[in-house]
Amino acid sequence: MDSDIILVIVVATALVFDFTNGFHDTANAVATSISTRALAPKTAVTLSAILNFVGAFISIEVAATVAGGIVDSNLVTTTVIFAGLIGAITWNLVTWYFGLPSSSSHALIGGVVGSAFAASGTAAVYGSGLLDKVIVPALVAPIVAFLTAGACILITYRMVGRLRPGSVNRGYRLGQIASASLLSLSHGTNDAQKTMGIITLALIAHGTLEGPSPDPPFWVIVSAATAIALGTYTGGWRIIRTMGSRIYKMDPAQGFAAQGGGAAVLLTASHLGFPLSTTHSITGAVLGAGAAKSLSAVRWGLAGNIAVAWVLTLPAAAAVGAATYGVSRIFGESALGPLLISVSLLMLLVGIFGKRVRQGPPIAAPAPADS
Amino acid sequence: MIATDYAALLELVWAAPLAALIVVIAWGLAVLGTARAGEARREGRTVSVVLHVGMATVGVALFIAAIVLGLIITSSGG
Repeated sequence: MDSDIILVIVVATALVFDFTNGFHDTANAVATSISTRALAPKTAVTLSAILNFVGAFISIEVAATVAGGIVDSNLVTTTVIFAGLIGAITWNLVTWYFGLPSSSSHALIGGVVGSAFAASGTAAVYGSGLLDKVIVPALVAPIVAFLTAGACILITYRMVGRLRPGSVNRGYRLGQIASASLLSLSHGTNDAQKTMGIITLALIAHGTLEGPSPDPPFWVIVSAATAIALGTYTGGWRIIRTMGSRIYKMDPAQGFAAQGGGAAVLLTASHLGFPLSTTHSITGAVLGAGAAKSLSAVRWGLAGNIAVAWVLTLPAAAAVGAATYGVSRIFGESALGPLLISVSLLMLLVGIFGKRVRQGPPIAAPAPADS
Repeated sequence: MIATDYAALLELVWAAPLAALIVVIAWGLAVLGTARAGEARREGRTVSVVLHVGMATVGVALFIAAIVLGLIITSSGG
């Protein structure tokens, strides 16, 4: 009976993580489009939500190995998964509150690493896996995207710099709709799979699913797609403002260069089997497109805060994951621990989103001066 | 256990900027061609209109091809 309750709690928590992943990462696809007025804010998040939903159905190549190669999968239990999810959700909420873009995938890996460490000690965590799947990609993604977007905007200005701003801005706004749509679809495909993978893993651990790598049931696919789409539609406006207008005042050509450069880096990396964080790539590209035009226009202090958040993602999510596992274990094998933690988290979420709804709709990002 | 694929990493360092530049140049051609064609139309230069519309068409076609390639990569999971 307790294992059934824990399974239900893990599934619900995974869907909450999926929701936070959606609203936390909305900025990656739509922030530059909103900032340059390529799309109205509500239209942008609606389009992104629909494409995230559709994207979740494109591929069900489930990564049942979320944190695979990083933690010993034989030591992963439903309680470890639950605690890892709480760590990831907490870090997503903290970074959202401060308006800082950070990787939901790294938060999830951090949470699971922390809870696995608390459960089984150092034997559960592979240091080389952390280096290969987290640290190296975290360094590569922003640097390559920064340089790529920088080169893109220089070429763009070279090509269209002498044209009338009006027609150029219209053209690049149109291009941004296409690049934002592609990013949203790609995000739905990649990130909804993480939740599908976690729920599938929990179903295997519970004994509901059998076999070495079973396909996720249809209800898992639909629920993961719905959660990420709802999260995206809710819109992480604080992060959208940071990426769209607080780092620097972006023109449509810069928005297109950032999105096009970031998307090219992400999709090339994916094609080469070297997946990178969407957040790291797009943020690096936004900075690159700004710095190439004018170094002084970029608010480097804010960029520094984002970098600090990236460095803290893994240890902070791991600490919360470990603490959550510890609290759960106070109640032994029973479902009481996870149940109490879930209810506390739910109350926190209701408080946050209830306040947000009462505050009314977000303020649209400022438009570029030349439009 | 996995290990960082440094060959893929190296390929990423040159292939990603190349892909991005192709996309940006393609859309740049579309924007440039459209704007110049508009100017030529206003000034009654028919040959220039045709040439710039051709340029814009090539740019749009390349951009659409890049988007389709992106969709294929997304759907194949890499």
